[in-house]
Amino acid sequence: MIARAIFWGALALLPLMVKTDFVLTIFIYAFIFGILGVTFDLVFGFTGQLSMFHPAVFGVSAYMTHLLVVNAKLPFWLATLPAAATAVVLSIVVGGICFKFRLKTFYFAVVTLAFSEMARLIVMNWNSVTNGTLGLVVSGKPTIWWPGAGVVAIKGPVAWYYLTLVWLAATVFVCARVLRSWMGRAFGAIRLNEDLARTLGINVFRYKLVSFALGSALASFAGGLYGYYTGYIDPGYLGINQSMEVLAMVLLGGQGTLTGPIVGSLVLTGLPHVIDLRAEARAILYGAILIFTILVMPRGIVGTLRAWRARRAA
Amino acid sequence: MLLEARNLTKRFLGLVAVSDVSFSVDAGEIVGVIGPNGSGKTTLLSMMAGMLPPSDGAVVWKGEEIQRLRTDVIAARGLVKTFQNPQVFAELSVVDNVLVASHLAFKHALGTRRALDLVGLEHRADLRLAERVREVLALCNLADATDQLAGNLSYGEEKMLGVAMALMCEPEMLLLDEPASGLGREEIENLTSVLRRVHAAGTTLCLVDHKIGFLRGLAERVIALNYGRKIAEGTPEKVLVDPAVVEAYLGRAHA
Repeated sequence: MIARAIFWGALALLPLMVKTDFVLTIFIYAFIFGILGVTFDLVFGFTGQLSMFHPAVFGVSAYMTHLLVVNAKLPFWLATLPAAATAVVLSIVVGGICFKFRLKTFYFAVVTLAFSEMARLIVMNWNSVTNGTLGLVVSGKPTIWWPGAGVVAIKGPVAWYYLTLVWLAATVFVCARVLRSWMGRAFGAIRLNEDLARTLGINVFRYKLVSFALGSALASFAGGLYGYYTGYIDPGYLGINQSMEVLAMVLLGGQGTLTGPIVGSLVLTGLPHVIDLRAEARAILYGAILIFTILVMPRGIVGTLRAWRARRAA
Repeated sequence: MLLEARNLTKRFLGLVAVSDVSFSVDAGEIVGVIGPNGSGKTTLLSMMAGMLPPSDGAVVWKGEEIQRLRTDVIAARGLVKTFQNPQVFAELSVVDNVLVASHLAFKHALGTRRALDLVGLEHRADLRLAERVREVLALCNLADATDQLAGNLSYGEEKMLGVAMALMCEPEMLLLDEPASGLGREEIENLTSVLRRVHAAGTTLCLVDHKIGFLRGLAERVIALNYGRKIAEGTPEKVLVDPAVVEAYLGRAHA
């Protein structure tokens, strides 16, 4: 509890102490990927379903949000809602197929990856809408009503820092509430022993789908934010690299925890910049960290710390 | 009549595991199913709980055929089965195991008001649930083990936890698959007294076991299976001296 308060407090106060855009930018990226990581962990770490569909949700939402703003003239915030609804529909279709056929672990991962690739190929080849491999330039910025200043565009690192931090905190809050409810107990039961969950009256299919769809809905906002932050969207958003990065973040930070994915995201987003790495070297670093984590601390940073604290308390 | 098995048959490729078995259980009864290893007892029970679709025949629960329903739907209607090899959430504590098993109780208590639980507004339900969890743990003599990890329990305690989790589902009828197998004498006595209390509280029991002594002390009516067929039915005293049953258990020379 105290550790959590310090963690969030420190993040909230950071821009007061750190003024360099470079550092804030790293945190902004880490927060957006943190949203992706937390929502992925809801499906993977808490419900036990290794989904590779997250990048598709991320990418499709980035495109949808932008296209709705440009073509339907919707404000950014309103545009995120149909994008989230689309994410839910896509996950109900994909999840429905996978869970009906009782695909688990590796098989579930491969089939969701295939669906993700399918989405990427559609986006890449639908030139008239998505501009193909060249991608789209996102020129606008989301606006917000601010007391005293009226409607202002969210620009600059400090504003984006707080926007993404608040969004991340809201995502964590929603996930925490769901996990503390009967739904969270059902997710845990499914992760730990599906057959037993069934005999206890838990509709395994329904709760897997709820977890998957909720994870996707919350993740979709990360896509919208990312496109608007970077000012650029391309089909690479939907690629397998994205899957691996999120997986690495969650494994490193600690699966089955809500803080873990954020810690993992901070480390893996920050590290390559701190020690200035090229893209290829970054892939190697991700791979090495992944292997190290799985071999040496399978519970990740947060999981290991918690176990250590529990041992000390006992 | 609470539950009725009508001409239940299960074929696995060429093997007939259960063949044309019919019987019924009334509310408030304790019915035992006996038979040597491989006589089809577990298969029969699995069909009744919706874990195996029967090849032929029907399972009728409160006048409705349920053999095509999913296990979780059957459990929600009040027919809950425990496993022969105890199934528990090994990584959770005993109390958390029972709490996870409160899924149906929670649903019954709140219905659609469960949505309030998402925003943290259903403390009363949480409290009632916690009380029920304590009751069930006390009933199953697990009150001293609440904070232990389920994975660290003894075999007998694991089986007890299985019963506790099934009870938490508020079943009208409990199907127990070999609850006494692998237990020592004291553990069996403990189990017997727990099951008596469960029965006294209004739950109908149907249990499968090959330990005749255990069933004799508990069941009011016994059904004997051999090679998937029903060979006898009646009071334990009558069935256990039935020549066909004695032969099935001990061989022809003793009959």
